[in-house]
Amino acid sequence: MKAETLIEQEADQSLGASVRSYLTKRRALVVMTALCSALFVCAFASLAIGSEHIAINQLFPALAANLTGTVSRLSREQEVIVFGLRLPRIALAIGVGAALAIAGAAFQALLRNPLADPYVLGVSGGAALGSIIAIIFATELSLSRPLFGFAGAAIATLVVYRLGRREDDPTHLVLAGVVMSTFLSSVIVLLTALAGDVKLRNITLWLLGDLSSGTTEGLVFVVVAAAIGAIVLATQSRALNLMMIGERDAFALGVETARVRWIVHLTASLLTGAAVAAGGAIGYVGLVTPHLVRLAAGSDNRLVIPASAIAGALLVLFADTVARTALAPRELPTGAITALVGAPIFIYLLIKSR
Amino acid sequence: MITLRKTILIAFVALTLFAGCSYNQPNIAAGDRRNFTDGIGRAVAVTSNPQRIISLAPNVTEILFALGLGDRIAGVTGYCDFPEAAKTKEKIGDTLNPNLERIISLKPDLVVVSTASQLENLTRKLDQLAIPVYVTNPRSVREVTVSIRKLGEVTGAVDRAMAIADEMERRISAVEGRVKGLPEPLVLYVLQTGPLITAGRNTFINDLIVLAGGRSISGDETADYPQFSRETVIARAPEVIVAPASHGSELVKESDLRRDFAVTPAIRAGRIVRVNPDLVDRPGPRIVEGLENLARGLHPQ
Repeated sequence: MKAETLIEQEADQSLGASVRSYLTKRRALVVMTALCSALFVCAFASLAIGSEHIAINQLFPALAANLTGTVSRLSREQEVIVFGLRLPRIALAIGVGAALAIAGAAFQALLRNPLADPYVLGVSGGAALGSIIAIIFATELSLSRPLFGFAGAAIATLVVYRLGRREDDPTHLVLAGVVMSTFLSSVIVLLTALAGDVKLRNITLWLLGDLSSGTTEGLVFVVVAAAIGAIVLATQSRALNLMMIGERDAFALGVETARVRWIVHLTASLLTGAAVAAGGAIGYVGLVTPHLVRLAAGSDNRLVIPASAIAGALLVLFADTVARTALAPRELPTGAITALVGAPIFIYLLIKSR
Repeated sequence: MITLRKTILIAFVALTLFAGCSYNQPNIAAGDRRNFTDGIGRAVAVTSNPQRIISLAPNVTEILFALGLGDRIAGVTGYCDFPEAAKTKEKIGDTLNPNLERIISLKPDLVVVSTASQLENLTRKLDQLAIPVYVTNPRSVREVTVSIRKLGEVTGAVDRAMAIADEMERRISAVEGRVKGLPEPLVLYVLQTGPLITAGRNTFINDLIVLAGGRSISGDETADYPQFSRETVIARAPEVIVAPASHGSELVKESDLRRDFAVTPAIRAGRIVRVNPDLVDRPGPRIVEGLENLARGLHPQ
């Protein structure tokens, strides 16, 4: 126990976050309660606002009526707007945000690199390429986007992993990832240049992140993926804590480093693939969220991973609500808002860590 | 260091002069020129009866063929697919990405550009090479007839242009007369779903909807093709949904429209009107055909 505490403190320092005492149940409880209530409040607020006005004093009874199965006082149109459009979109934002943030947290811990995130590693690029191939060539298959997205993410991960793998030197992997993601984005540019006019438009918009056209399949896929991912990674978080000081040391302490690496890589690809397929390429969530969580709650992965999930959900939900209400009835790409929010936060973290 | 810079400078000047010489000559030799003011107010000097015309937009190609100038067209874009004869013409690239080298090598005495293609840079380059560039800039359905008359003057096909423009104006007025006084249905134009893109105030399709006796629910949007909120669509309750008909690939699927807008009066009454995108997007002679089809769709009785 004592050795683990020391190791965690070293790991804290290596990631540049503030050094905290080791994780207590109380702190975990406080952080998770705070985040969950913030998410709940935010989700309700998001349900209440939109380009069309629906009075709050009608919304509460309508929600209650929907739960109990009685008829609400909302008109048929309002019913569709609240339960058919806003509610699934909020669920999608939460699912996508959670999936991306968990993937980011897992990559950062595994690679001991604060810049690691699905985008930097080319995993999102793989997922985007897979989804675009599905958009262009396999439009008829309803589950083609999430499946191709996952396949693309997994293949990109495998290639990057093969190329960049060096014993105890994670910087190589990040380098390989950067090369991979620039390569993949040029392939995407090439594909969109070859695709027809209208499809091209579709793809460019979708690449900036689009939660307005989510399908039920995509929503189910991403929520299930986020749940599975969170559970699987929770079982690996102790091992990840130890691996944050170096794989050799972790191995010496009895961690099966190779197995952990595979599990974390595959889970993170699944999460990224599902998120990108469902909501397009939304950036900065996987990069910024884990940093903020570590700043507030210390860097024990047993807390960082679940807390990142909720915080990422919060970030994407906020960004998407801004995207659909700021210029209503026009809508903005969600990814543009997350970048607007995420980039300044990241710069602040960079300056602060110097 | 200085010698290197000098060499580069000399080479540059020489190349510029060379380029200038080689492309000025044929134009000077072509003889008498007349001055015109094009659609965006530029002064253009064009030889009378130009013989080697390059069209940089599908609507321009359609106008030129309608004016009976088919055999004087030296080059068209890859999107120029009407009439059938346009497909066999030399291709000079995409509307948005014309190949400058090929344009120059075809030795045109007139290049016609449509403002919709945003080719300011190319226009400037061709100006520098002294190749006359005429820009058409129709901003409404009625202005299409004006642009056809002006192109008739520039190319020396005045009579044909007058006849075409007069006939188009007669048909536009006929549609207006037919829908006058009828209730104006609320229209949702769907350019694409996922995300939903519709058309704003300053678009041809909005103008067509108004002329055809309808009102677009996005008719007061300032952006041309805004990404639009689905809940606003449902709240504004469109009575007719208009979407481009696909030839080849599926642009807007019927099933997507039925799923996304099931609660609207348009879907409940089964009123989806399909329009051929080539007839409503191209400010050329066929736009009246698009208008008549749309008017029949909005007012079937």
